[in-house]
Order: sequence, then structure tokens, then C-alpha cells
Amino acid sequence: MKYKIGIDVGGTFTDFLLTMEDGSSQIYKVLSTPDDPSIATMQGLREMAEDRNVSVEAFLKGVTVIVHGTTVTTNAVLTYTGAKTGLLTTKGVRDALQMRRGIREEQYNNRYENVEPLVQRYLRLPIDERLDYKGDVIKPLEEEEVLRQVAVFKKEGVEAVAVCFMNSFANPEHERKAGEIIRREMADAYLTLSGDILPSIRFYDRVSTTVLNAYVGPILKRYLDALLKKLKDVNYEGVLLIMQSNGGVVAPEIAMERAAVTLLSGPAGGPVAGVMYTSVQGYDDCITVDMGGTSFDAALIKDKTPMVTTMGEINRLRIALPMLNVVTIGAGGGSIGWIDEGGLLRMGPQSAGAKPGPACYNLGGEEPTCTDADLVLGYLDKDYFAGGRIPLDLGKAERAIEEKIAKPLGMDLHEAALGMYNVINVNMAAAVREVSVKQGQDPRDFPLVTAGGAGPNHACMIALELEIPVILVPRESSIFCAAGMLMSDLKHDYVQTYAVQLSDIEPKRFKAYFEEMRKNGIASLKEEGIPEDKIEFVYSLDLRYIKQYHEVNVPISEEVAMDVNIDAMAEAFHPRHNKLFGYDLKEEGTPVELINMRLTCIGKTEKPKFNEQPYDGEDPSKAFKKKRKVFIPTWKRFEEVDVFDSFKLRYGNKIEGPAILEQVNTTTFVTPEYSVLVDKFGSYTLYLKSREEEFAGRILK
Amino acid sequence: MSDVKIDKVLVSILQRRLKSITEEMSIALMMTTRSPILCEAKDFVTGLYDKNGKMLEQTENLPILSFSLGPVCEYIIKYFGDDIHPGDVIFHNDVFSMGNQNNDVAVYKPIFYKDELVAWSACKGHQADIGGCVQGGYNPNATEVWQEALRIPPVKVYEKGKLRKDVWDLIFANIRLDIVAEDMKAEIGSCVVGERELLKLIDRYGLDVFEAHKNHLFDSTEKMMRSEISAIPNGVYKGDSRVYYDGRNPGSVYEIHVTITVEDEEITFDYTGTSPETDGFVNGTYTSSASATTLTFLQMINPNIPHNDGMIRPMHIIIPEGTILNAAYPKATTYGNHLCPNNADAIMRALGPAIPDRVTAEWNELLCSLTTAIDPRNGRPYVDIGFMGLKGGSGAIKGCDGYDHIGMIDASGGVLDQDYEMFEQQTPHLLMLHEYWRDSAGAGQWRGGLGVETRFKIGSDHTKVVTFGDGDVEPAFGAHGGKEGTLNKIELIYPDGKVYKALSKDLIEDVPAGTIYFQQAGGGGGYGPPYLRPVEKVLKDVRNDVVSVEKAREDYGVVIDPETFQVDMAATEKLREQMKAQAA
Repeated sequence: MKYKIGIDVGGTFTDFLLTMEDGSSQIYKVLSTPDDPSIATMQGLREMAEDRNVSVEAFLKGVTVIVHGTTVTTNAVLTYTGAKTGLLTTKGVRDALQMRRGIREEQYNNRYENVEPLVQRYLRLPIDERLDYKGDVIKPLEEEEVLRQVAVFKKEGVEAVAVCFMNSFANPEHERKAGEIIRREMADAYLTLSGDILPSIRFYDRVSTTVLNAYVGPILKRYLDALLKKLKDVNYEGVLLIMQSNGGVVAPEIAMERAAVTLLSGPAGGPVAGVMYTSVQGYDDCITVDMGGTSFDAALIKDKTPMVTTMGEINRLRIALPMLNVVTIGAGGGSIGWIDEGGLLRMGPQSAGAKPGPACYNLGGEEPTCTDADLVLGYLDKDYFAGGRIPLDLGKAERAIEEKIAKPLGMDLHEAALGMYNVINVNMAAAVREVSVKQGQDPRDFPLVTAGGAGPNHACMIALELEIPVILVPRESSIFCAAGMLMSDLKHDYVQTYAVQLSDIEPKRFKAYFEEMRKNGIASLKEEGIPEDKIEFVYSLDLRYIKQYHEVNVPISEEVAMDVNIDAMAEAFHPRHNKLFGYDLKEEGTPVELINMRLTCIGKTEKPKFNEQPYDGEDPSKAFKKKRKVFIPTWKRFEEVDVFDSFKLRYGNKIEGPAILEQVNTTTFVTPEYSVLVDKFGSYTLYLKSREEEFAGRILK
Repeated sequence: MSDVKIDKVLVSILQRRLKSITEEMSIALMMTTRSPILCEAKDFVTGLYDKNGKMLEQTENLPILSFSLGPVCEYIIKYFGDDIHPGDVIFHNDVFSMGNQNNDVAVYKPIFYKDELVAWSACKGHQADIGGCVQGGYNPNATEVWQEALRIPPVKVYEKGKLRKDVWDLIFANIRLDIVAEDMKAEIGSCVVGERELLKLIDRYGLDVFEAHKNHLFDSTEKMMRSEISAIPNGVYKGDSRVYYDGRNPGSVYEIHVTITVEDEEITFDYTGTSPETDGFVNGTYTSSASATTLTFLQMINPNIPHNDGMIRPMHIIIPEGTILNAAYPKATTYGNHLCPNNADAIMRALGPAIPDRVTAEWNELLCSLTTAIDPRNGRPYVDIGFMGLKGGSGAIKGCDGYDHIGMIDASGGVLDQDYEMFEQQTPHLLMLHEYWRDSAGAGQWRGGLGVETRFKIGSDHTKVVTFGDGDVEPAFGAHGGKEGTLNKIELIYPDGKVYKALSKDLIEDVPAGTIYFQQAGGGGGYGPPYLRPVEKVLKDVRNDVVSVEKAREDYGVVIDPETFQVDMAATEKLREQMKAQAA
């Protein structure tokens, strides 16, 4: 038997999806071990071997690929536990990193402090060199000065060095020279040159990204070295791949060099999984949402391609590498309800976490949380939370909501619980609007793929709020990201700034830039074992109207790129500008400017197969469990509804809302506006009853 | 009005949705504008108003612009009466009909739902040029409005969906830079975004429900505001501050006087006693001054209060006409927005003793510059407002240091530096220095925010440098034993070595390429006695070279070895004891 394994290390659980050649799959969940996440990883592998009554070594002989999402770099940034890092930068601008262009995100809050920089000022050392805006040398780099500053780094025990000089996007020579000296003098240090990680214009973006990479580099390297060694110790000979923030995977050796590409490794699996689960119904687009204990992630996928942003942030620090546009807000099962001074009900972003947890956990938590509201409203079964492993205390939940919400608002208990449920749904809907409406996309055109332990209980109301007609709850919704990781291709992004009016492009230079990026991409992918015929290239340009400041990313074909077809580039730009901002200036003949050239190199991997189920007919009665009283939000009253064991539901089964679908890690609440059909992959697909004709056929496809 | 049952949760939803619509308007404007003042520094505001012109929500990148959008909306409604139609687009900048500054040009778009006027979307941005004597608008020699700008009282540029080409051309024939017309198109686009989204919202819930819940939202916000005000002890509080140099009479000094009366849930700011208007451009308009009052007060209360009409109901602002804060027609007023720091200063002095936990020490006052010329690299004109150079430190508050390099209180960190590399692409200048200014922050148990030093080489001949601001005479004051910050300064070092120290309002012509521009933006005032600041915090600042070893000893009483950064604890304790004794 040949296996592929997806591993997603989360805050509470490490999720595993084991897939087999025949298309079957199996879920494992192990408690995470934050001090050394590889312990939980190895534990999961051991459990898989035990289930098969073989040694880990024997089991791993059959494993061809392990794809791994990791939060080690994310956590290092959030908790300031990265490497001691030094920054070498052009004289006069060493504070740009800490200034963050002078923003205070909360303008009216005089107690809102700037975020601590990852490199303290005394380790941000200037070099008296200078390039002008075109990359021409104004002041040459002196080796002696670099040596002097490197001596300071050595004395201070710096483990990682970031180098970022002004205008180096136009000429990498000074950085390269400095880099050689550092490599020579500090052979053990982790080195990042800005021109290697992000050769594009905008100094703050580049210096911040470069420092992030250096800061987390040694951490990721140590972690991956340890994991590789542990896998080697049990004779693993298959491939290990690491999930990147851009939704692609990468070999560990390359990830170590470009560690910043893993800063959002965790949630990046979600959108990729969304593509897979919706493709069976013929969708090219979807919105994915993942609601866990403390946070809610939303992402939008168009043409089977998750939206990518280069304007991301982590902990208020800029990261300008392409990453999936996942919006994260503080909304989850643990989100606390409270009343502000104006008497308005609010939910979160504070969370009760896993400890003390929601009031109903009975672990000392006294604040009313989203989970408490869900329990009071009947969406959760007090005896079947986590399959019955965590008994819930209804009385505690009722008391918390009564005291902290209902009484102050002069409402009864259920009104208050419903209010909490509605407010958090609106918050989540706002996050979905951010990934859709803000990008000029209408959320109603997308199926909503819902994952995470708490997600499916709230999906209908989020969808109603946004008028979304179709919701997909994958059978593996609780290990959604791990599934996505297995579906990901190898992916490397390259960028080169070339600031010029389209009409002034020098074709030779333009082509040379793309060819250089191609060469690098092919080299990396070959190193990762991808044959040339499995490599794809995606070309795009960042364009704008002359004198505009912000660019729009416009995909172009390889033909247009290699023929340097300037007219076709402009033709692609006008409608895109129009679509995003409501107007274009094509008629007026306004010239178009190029800022950045981008190339994404994709190495196609072999995907695991997923079994399709045979058609089972409409009747869901074999999955019927019991009846339960559930509060119907739009009817504003309790109603007895059918509860089903959703693992027993099969392709074609149909249930009309209101209903509850229960499985071990997830409960789905189907409101009366929706019905459910199970598709070929076993995903529960909710659709607006009023639009059954439109959707039923498609779901059963 | 039909009797709609109020759904309290829907009120929360409505507030959130209105806010997110104004944010979407803001993003659209940022992404499409051309002037760095708008697309990089975000010197603009977007908002939604009800059918009566009352504020529904705003996104206030630069708050000083924002609290005049509502009053102008009310003015426009009165002005056009029943002559408002679907598809109309109205421009406005006139400071004598509630505008705040000539350069801040607003767009208003009435929103109709089923043929009924239901709301307005509006935005306003600081335009790179607005006609008048000086490109960029800042003209210290102006004595009346016509020398400053083209006045645009409410005018329809679109009527019933049709562009009035004649009106459009009249306006832009009087403005120097072609990017201004482009940026006004972007402002219209932003209003369209607001209109479209608000209509969806009304369509979703119905007009009756929307109206009833809007009123409830206003009431709820008003209640929140009233409870904030009632937390301030009743009383009459007086504060004052000074404005130095009116741009015409060297050594001139003007005074701002505010009397703040807190009576239960209402607060009144009365500026009676403030100096008369100047004969130059250092004059406020009613709305620029009232915006300054509002934004300063908002920093002293719960920062999460929704921004709508309910918020301003319990606030009363009296500014006598003919004073420096409310100049009479037809005085020049372009400088008016920049009286905000002085105005804030007076309010902080008044309320500091009453609510010491909520009032900061003084912020660094604005001193700004604008350079303009033809870029020799491409023959095109450029205008650059030196946002990076102007960002001094904020005042410290009990429990928190001031914010380093934040800039004027009227933006409070909402306006950003130009990116350095974009700056060198868009102007012919070469940036040489932009760093924290050592020892600029006022010492304190909580220190003031650091100021910055900026130096660049001017790359164009015949460059015009305009300066406007204050803070070069009186540094930001410290509070409750904290020390004052540092002064602002702008200098030009000509190629022949001559140094010219710019006045705080100045117009310097014909500056040659190769001239070095140097600016210091001062630090904010400190809070609490410096000798109470934890030693490790002082050491951290010394280690990072933003506080010198000498200042650590003189101001903080912390004795540090400059070579090893070891603290001499015995000497430190002794010195701090002395300081304490002296203070007592």
C-alpha cells in the first residue's frame, strides 16, 4: 500500500489526513506539542503504524509524500522568540523598520503603542554606500566598513543578518558584496539579502520582509533539521514538503533559505482544499471559511486560484511576499460576549481559549462565549460535544448569558443568546465581505465552503447575511487544511522591478528578466525532483496609469510575455482597472506604466485520489438519530428538529431544514431556509430551498 | 414613520456595515489617486450622511478634514432645496460655507432609493493644487481668499447623470496640475462605491427599518458619549496656548483661549477671548477649528465610540467670528487646519488637571514643507509635501510613552511617510537621512515620543520651498513633572555653504539643485517625574542611542557607562534621591 500524509500543526490539535492509493482516507488528531511540534508529528505517524500493526519504519516504507504545514515561524514572530538578528542598511534610513511609515492604527487611542521591532536599533547598523533611483552607484561600498559592522554583530552574538540597501531592487551588487563578506566572516550566521528575497521597489516593504526572513530563518532551519533527522532515524525515504503562505509547497531545503514564505503556512491549506471540494460540483470559484476556537479565517478563490496579496501583515509587520489573501479575525467558539458603554452587544475579539474556556466547559470560565450561546440555543448537544468527550454544563452557560448579557440588555435568556449568535455571525460576514466585496467580488456568486469545529454551526446565518445560496460542508471539515496541503503543487514566486512606461520597454531587457526568473524557478523545481514537463509558468505584471501610485496585478500569457506584446499588455490592464475601481482611462489614451514583473513557477505534483461514493438515493432515514429542540433564528422560537449522524449520510441523501447534522468534531445547523444534499465526495451541500431547481442538479452531478 | 420594532442586534449590524462601506470607499480612493498626498499619505476622508446631512459613519485618515463633511452636506441640502436629483454630483471647497480648507475639495453624491432621497455619500481629499497665487495652495503672502484658491461653492458637475462639461472645464482651467482632475474622478468613483453599497443595505432591510434603526444608533451613540462626558467632574476649565508668527509680522504672537464647561452629560467649548484674526493666511475656519476640538476630545474618551451624529450631539462649540479660529469673509485661511495643534494644546491644558489619566502631555506641533519645481529628469512638474519630515513625537500619557514619529495631532498617525524609494522616483531629490532624533523626546516617567531628523539633497533648479507650521518657539510641554520636548526647525544649506533658517511660514523661491534640505521635527512632552522611570527602560533607550548617556544622567538620574552600558546602581540611587528631594 502507498500512502500520502497531510499534517497541519494547529494551536490545540495536530491534524493528519492519511490517504491511500485506492482513494480511501483516514483522519488522525493528536494533541499538539508547542515546545517541539515534531513530537506530535512523530506521535501521529506512530499511531498510524500501530493501527496497521507494523513498526513505524515499516509503515513509512509505504509513504511516498508527507506535506507539512507548520506554525513555528508564525509563533516565533508573535511571541518574539526568533533569532537574534542584525540589520545592515544604508546610512540614514536604519529606523524605517521600526517607524513603519509612521502609522498608528488606532488614531484616537493614546495608549496604543507601536509594535516592537524584530531588530533593536543598536543592531541596525548603517553602511555609508548609496545607489540612486536607477541603481547607479553614487557612493561605493567599502569592504572595511562592512567588516567593522560585522565585528559588532559577532560581538553581540547575532545569529541572523538581514541586508537591505536603498534602491537595491535596481542593482543588487552592493548587497551581494556585503553578503560575501558576511558569509566569509560569519559562516554560521543565517543571511538574507533583500535582493534575493524581494527585489521590488518600496523600501519599507522590502526591509520589513527581509528582516522577517532572517528573524525566523534559523528557527525554521532548526525545526526542519530536527524533523528531517527524526524521519531519517525511522528510515523515511519519501518526500517531505512544506506548506507555504502562497498556497504552494516547497522542499525543506528551499524553505530554510526563504523561511518567510512559511509565515502563514497553517491557514494556506484551506483555500486549496476549497478548490478541490467544490470542483466536483463544477465550480471554479468559492469562498472558504474556517472557524475554530479563537479565530476565523476567510479566503476567496477565483478560477480555481486563491486570491494572492502582496500587502500582507503579520503582527502589524509588513510582509510583501505573495501570500494567500486570508483574512483572520478574532471570532471563534471561545469569543466572549460583552456590552459596551453605549449598551450595544459585542462579541470578541477576546476569547476564553481552551482554558478556562467557555462557561459551559465548567473549567472555571465565567464569561459568556459563542459556544455557550450555541449550547443554549440547542445547536450543540451537551452530551455529544467532541463526540461526548467534553461534557457541557448547560446551567453554567445559561447563568453566564443571563447575568452578563440578558439582564443588562433587558432581554430574556434566549433573546440574548440569539443576539450573541447573530452578532458574531455578522462579524464573520464582515470578514467574508472583506475578502469578497473589498476585492470587487460579489459574495453571492460563490459557494461558501465551511470548515473548522465551529464553522458549520454558523454557516447558514453567515450565508443568509450575505445572501449566499450554497454552502458546502466537507466531510473532513475539521481537518480541512491538512487535506488542502495534500492537494498543493510546488510553487515559487519571483518578482523583478522594472519601472518604465509600456511604450518604453526595452524588449531585450524585459525578456532577460523573465528568463532569469524562469531559470531560477526551473533550477529550484529540478532540485525538488520535478521533471521539466511538469512545470508551469504564470506570468503577470503590476501595471498602473501614468502618475498613479498603486499598481494592479494583471496576468498575461507566456506568448504576450515572450513576444513583449505591449498592446496586449495594455488591453489586459484597462478592463481589470475598470472592474476593480469602476472606471478606466482607455478612451482618453492615458499611458500605462510597468512597475513589477512577476513569475510564478509551479511544479505539478501527483494528487491523492479521493473515492467517489455510489448514488444512495434521497432517503436519509438510516442516519436519523433523534429529535431535539433547537432555536430557529428567523422564526424566533424553539422547534423540534431532526438530528442526523452525518457520517452515515451518503451521496444523494436529502434533508430539509431545519435539521442538525452531527459528527464527532463538527455540528452543522441547517436553518429552515436551506436544504441539504450530499454530493459524490460526501460533502454536505446546503442550498436555499427557494432556488432548489437551480442547484439540486449541480450538486448531484 | 411606521412603528418599526427595534432589533438591538440589527443596530450593531447597521453600525458595522456603515463603517465598512466607508472603509471600502477609502480603499477605492487610495488605490486610484495620483497625488502622493492622497495615495501615499492618505490625506482624505470618506463618509456617509443621512438625508438631512447628519453623519452616519466616516473613515477618517486625517480627522481634521472630517468633521466638516456633515455641516457642508447640510449646507448643500439647504442650498439646492428640491433641486437635487439622482445622478447629481456636487463639488465643494468653499471655506465660507462650512468648508475647512481650500485645498480640501469634497464630492457629494445624493443617494436615491426608489426616487426618494435617502442619504449622501461624500469624500474629501487634499488636492495637489487649487489655483491661487502659489502652486500647492500655501501662500503666506495671501491676505484674502482669492489669492489662495479657486472658490468652489456647491456646484453640480454632473446633473441627473450627465457631465456638465462647461462647469468641469471652468474649474480645471483654473487649476495648474492635470492630476487634480484625475484625482477628482477618483473621488467621484469613491462616492459611487458608497452609494452602491448603501443602497444594497437599504434594499436588504427596507427603508423604514433602516431609518428607525439609524435613529436608534444615533441615540445609542449619544448615550455612550453622554456617559463618557459624565465621567469628567463638573466644572469650568480654562486653558490657553499661543500661535507664533502670522506669516507677515515677524515676532507676532496670538492667543487661543478656551473655556470648557462640563455640566453632567454635556460639554461646551467656548473660545471667547481668543485673539482676533490675522491679516495673513494664519486663520482658522469654523469647521477646521471645530474639527480640531472634536478630534482632540475624542482622544480623551473611549476610542471605540462610533462616529455618527449621536456622538456630536452633547458637544457644543462656540467660536466667535473674527477670531484667529474663525476668520470672517474674505480672509485668507489656508493655514487654518494647522492651528489644530495649538487648539489641542489649549484643550489639554484645560482638561489636564480634571482628567489627568486621560490627557497626554503636549504633542509636537506641526512644521511642514512643500517643494515644487520641474523635475529635470522628465520635464514634468512635481509637488511634494514632506510628510516624512514633519512627523514628530506625541505627548506621553499616564502609563504609556508617547508614540515616536507619529506627526501632527490632527492626523494622529493616520497619515504616512512617503516610501523612500517612491520618493526618489517621484521627485528629483536624494534622501540622505530620516531617523529618530536622539534626545528629542521630553523626559518623563513615561517619555514623550521621539522626533525625527530629515535631510535630502534637492535635485531641481528654481525649486520653490514653502513652509508652514509652528513649534519653533515653544516646545511641547511636559505634564505632571515630565519635561518638555524639542523645537522644530527647517534649514536650507545652499551649495555655496550659506545656511538659511526658514521661518515657520515661509516662501523660498529659486532654490538651486544641490541645496541640502534639513529638518528637525521635535519630540513630544514627557509625563511624570523622569527619576521615576524604570532604569531598564532608560538603559534600553541609551543602548538604542535615542537617549544619550549625558541625558540619562541629567534628566533621568541614571548613570551608565558609555563603553559597557553597565548601570552604576549606587550612583543612580544617590542621584535619584537628590532629584526627588529637589522636586519636593
